Amino acid sequence: MKKNKGMIILFLLPAVILFCLIFLYPIMRTLLMSFFKITGVTDSMDMWQFNGIGNYTKLFSTGLFVTSMTNLAKIWLFGGIIVLSISLLLAVILTSGVRGKKFFRAIIYLPNIVSAVALATMWLQYVYSPKFGLLKTFFTKLGLESLSKTQWLDNEHKFGALLIAYCFGMIGYHMLIWLSGIERISPELFEAATIDGANKPAQFRYMTLPLLKGVFKTNITMWSVSSVAFFLWSQLFSTVTADTKTITPMVYMYTKVFGAGNSVTEHDAGVGAAVGVILSVCVVIIFTLCNKFIKDDELEF
Amino acid sequence: MAKVKRKKKMEPINWHKEAKLIPGYLILILWVIFTVVLLGWVIGASFSTTKEIYQGNALKFLSGFHFENYVKAWSGGNVSTFFLNSLEYSLISCVLLLLICAPAAYVLSRFTFLGNKIIQTSFVSSMGVPVIMIVLPLFSLISALGVLNNIFANKVLLIFLYVGINIPYTTIFLLTFFANISRTYEEAAAIDGCPPMKTFWKIMFPMAQSGLVTVTIFNFINIWNEYFLSLIFANSDKLKPVAVGLYGMINSMKYTGDWAGMFAAVVIVFLPTFILYIFLSEKIIGGVTGGIKG
Repeated sequence: MKKNKGMIILFLLPAVILFCLIFLYPIMRTLLMSFFKITGVTDSMDMWQFNGIGNYTKLFSTGLFVTSMTNLAKIWLFGGIIVLSISLLLAVILTSGVRGKKFFRAIIYLPNIVSAVALATMWLQYVYSPKFGLLKTFFTKLGLESLSKTQWLDNEHKFGALLIAYCFGMIGYHMLIWLSGIERISPELFEAATIDGANKPAQFRYMTLPLLKGVFKTNITMWSVSSVAFFLWSQLFSTVTADTKTITPMVYMYTKVFGAGNSVTEHDAGVGAAVGVILSVCVVIIFTLCNKFIKDDELEF
Repeated sequence: MAKVKRKKKMEPINWHKEAKLIPGYLILILWVIFTVVLLGWVIGASFSTTKEIYQGNALKFLSGFHFENYVKAWSGGNVSTFFLNSLEYSLISCVLLLLICAPAAYVLSRFTFLGNKIIQTSFVSSMGVPVIMIVLPLFSLISALGVLNNIFANKVLLIFLYVGINIPYTTIFLLTFFANISRTYEEAAAIDGCPPMKTFWKIMFPMAQSGLVTVTIFNFINIWNEYFLSLIFANSDKLKPVAVGLYGMINSMKYTGDWAGMFAAVVIVFLPTFILYIFLSEKIIGGVTGGIKG
């Protein structure tokens, strides 16, 4: 064992040091920063002014930040319902005995490996294009004049357009999580249920769903973690800085800390840090609630 | 799994059973058609001209295939620089991640020692930490070092960041992998007098090959597509990876109006991960859920 001690330290050290540098230290410092008034990100600690919970109260009385939180909540809730239900539907179809399962699965997951900038560009410049867009062509062919003339990227439709494009890219990932859960349920259970006369919908309602509780929790956690970091899609879909239709907390923080300083975005790194803390707290709350209300003792992982 | 697959293939087509699945097939096929149209049209448009795209004839190629869009985008629009930067960042970071995380994952999976559990828990929870929570102190730390003015130092820094943020995921992924390899190999090596560290590099590391490959594919895709950190820490065009570079190009395309060229740039950006996926989709899909379990 003595020999191993050196090996353990040697093997762990690089990873642990990097972890401390990139995660542990910054997390602690961000937490600390959120209670101070800091004009520039690069200001040294002696230039910080203690501000108590001032940054937090200021944020929640700032209209733009509240809008960004509302947008994020809408993305989380509506996007979550869309993504988790469609991905579950696709996973159920794939496990119902269709042919070419691997092919379909591969195609549905495909958008996840494409760079989000490229994917968002395809939606923005092709699907929603008012000149040669897919939706325009599609509705023109069907003879639905009014729909084909819709400006999908105007202020009225922008948020919906953004949400759908984003969800399309996320469904494949969540489908794979559902799939792994469904595939772990023993097929003998279903055989027994079929022999006992339970039809497919009943099997789904009373067997698959309850058995997927734990997987559901994984899905919600993963969805929350990725939606909290909602940034790139919002940046690509907004035409002006601080676009109220698409702004999310992360975009708000970015303009607040790194953006061009103007009347809309007075620089304040302390407030930026507070945004980070609020988002992290959101993730922790969702995670705790999930653990409290969804017990995953049904499925062995 | 292999047995089940063979059994399924030999099963004759049961029309009654297939008929029941028609709604399912319909949804799947519509989904596939949409995905193929989306990607296919963009690829098609990248070989077309801006004028034809506007006329709605992007896929008719009335004036033939325009490969010059690619030539223009590659050399004119800085895409070659972005592309080579991304390649450099992704490849170097992937190798470093393996060299750092595989040993760490191995000792975490094999030995009981004070702090083992804490390290594992910290790594797992850090995967849920939004990047916004770490970016501000990193920025001030890095500005204080003054590396943002030097191209080479800045590149090293970017790679350092890409490696750092992927350490928890890579370690946890490999940890489950090493835990599943039987201990008998090390016991045999120890009896033959092989020191533990040598045992790891000569025996365990090669045995974990398939896990190492899977996690490397994921790291490659993640780093290739990484956006936020690159946006903040890669300020000059000489340093930008494809994701950030493409964003800048799209913005400038609004003024130049070269749509065909823009779609060509989009294709160049997604091509590397797309090709990886065509050849390795099974491995990638298998790895997605493998990584979550931990």
